[in-house]
Amino acid sequence: MQAWWILPNREQRDDVLASDGEAVFPLRNVLDPGLRPEGFSHGVPTELIERCGEQAIPEILFAQRFPWEGGRQLFSVTAVAGVDTSGRSVHLGLVFILEPWEYPRFNVPWGGLPAEDQAYAKRLLHRMNLPAPGDSWARSVRELAGLKVHGPVTNVALERAAVRFDSLYEAGPAGLVKKSIFSRRQGTVAIVLLILFGAAAVSLYERGCGRTLRVAAGNGVVTWHLS
Amino acid sequence: MMPMALTTFRVFLLLASIPEAGKHVARLVKGAIDWWSGKKIAVIGPTASGKDSFLARLRNQEIPRVHSNSTIGEKVKSFPVKLALSSRQVVDITCKGVVNIGGETDYRDTPSGWFAVCKDADVVFYMMTVEDLAKKRFLGRRRVGEDLAWLQTAMPHLKPDALVHILINKVDVEIESHTDYQALADEMAQELSALDTTVRSLLHPYEGRYTGATLISMKNKQIYTAAINLVFRAVYSAFHATAGRRRKAG
Repeated sequence: MQAWWILPNREQRDDVLASDGEAVFPLRNVLDPGLRPEGFSHGVPTELIERCGEQAIPEILFAQRFPWEGGRQLFSVTAVAGVDTSGRSVHLGLVFILEPWEYPRFNVPWGGLPAEDQAYAKRLLHRMNLPAPGDSWARSVRELAGLKVHGPVTNVALERAAVRFDSLYEAGPAGLVKKSIFSRRQGTVAIVLLILFGAAAVSLYERGCGRTLRVAAGNGVVTWHLS
Repeated sequence: MMPMALTTFRVFLLLASIPEAGKHVARLVKGAIDWWSGKKIAVIGPTASGKDSFLARLRNQEIPRVHSNSTIGEKVKSFPVKLALSSRQVVDITCKGVVNIGGETDYRDTPSGWFAVCKDADVVFYMMTVEDLAKKRFLGRRRVGEDLAWLQTAMPHLKPDALVHILINKVDVEIESHTDYQALADEMAQELSALDTTVRSLLHPYEGRYTGATLISMKNKQIYTAAINLVFRAVYSAFHATAGRRRKAG
């Protein structure tokens, strides 16, 4: 298992910084942007912040899991970690590269992180290791951490993401609601039903045409030489 | 053909019996109209240059109070832009397929990053700040220079008629910190001219698609309104010039 912190961009730098808990370096040094899966997020998507409201910001956790090269999996979890120099929310995250048999372990060192990020890092690890009974966000992340996925999956559904994800929960003003298997698969189900409906329509149409031709041949209207 | 017509009629009856079917049909029709009249724009640029604020202004919305560093490509709902320009031209377009994305170089270089945002765009707005202009970050391997070099390599893969316009945001900060406006105007004119020359040479052989650079402020509504008028006039003229050339060639 390889794990790095994704650091908040408080100074509005041109690149995203990372840390192994000791040194700080550009994230691109360990995770080439060209190899990052489509839709990989470096923080909590804005739509979740807007949907859940300002008061929920400290509680929101956003996690993603992707199948990755060589049968490995890429898992990340992010949280809002204060604001940058112009008052915009910035994000702290953990990204893991997991071998096929591995699950993320939330024991990444944080002592070498910038001072202003340490409290957020400690809280994130604590929530992951010992989630409070009502912490549905942490529970959803742990659930995703325990899954092996075949496509991109998030702990909570996104509506505005440019990339489509499967997801375990839906976020709303009342908190997180578990998605039913049907609603998780409804896109696929709709496509399958549409194909079946189309196939049935074509088959009925052809049978209808066949009957018309047979009747016409029987009446001698169509002269059709069969050898 | 009769069974097909009958099936279509039955499907129509079935749809009509579904509650709120009218709304769905209207949405479908509207979608089709949008498809025909929509223009896709892309807004790219360094971190905190004002991309989110520009999208908010275009949608006639205030800059959101709860604001976040963009962390993932997020789709923006189609929205209309209606502007009566001072030259009696009218801009009435639907911006569709807009994706909001972060400004860090990591987003520029990821597969679902800036290229995915720009590839079907009719107009690419590159957003930088007055500070980038003053500090000449468009020269050499500095941030804006690197972005423009990236844009040049992306140009052959964009729509053949895609236009590029540069917005230089936060001009209000510069105005507020000066008292000698004439001196400021002269200084900025020189900087703009240097930027213009650099962009044309960096975008070569696609410099014909560059429609200019405009000083703007997302924060100050008056400056924004005056500037956006200039921006759309430049883009509008370039669109019609391209369309005219295409008609002549046809």
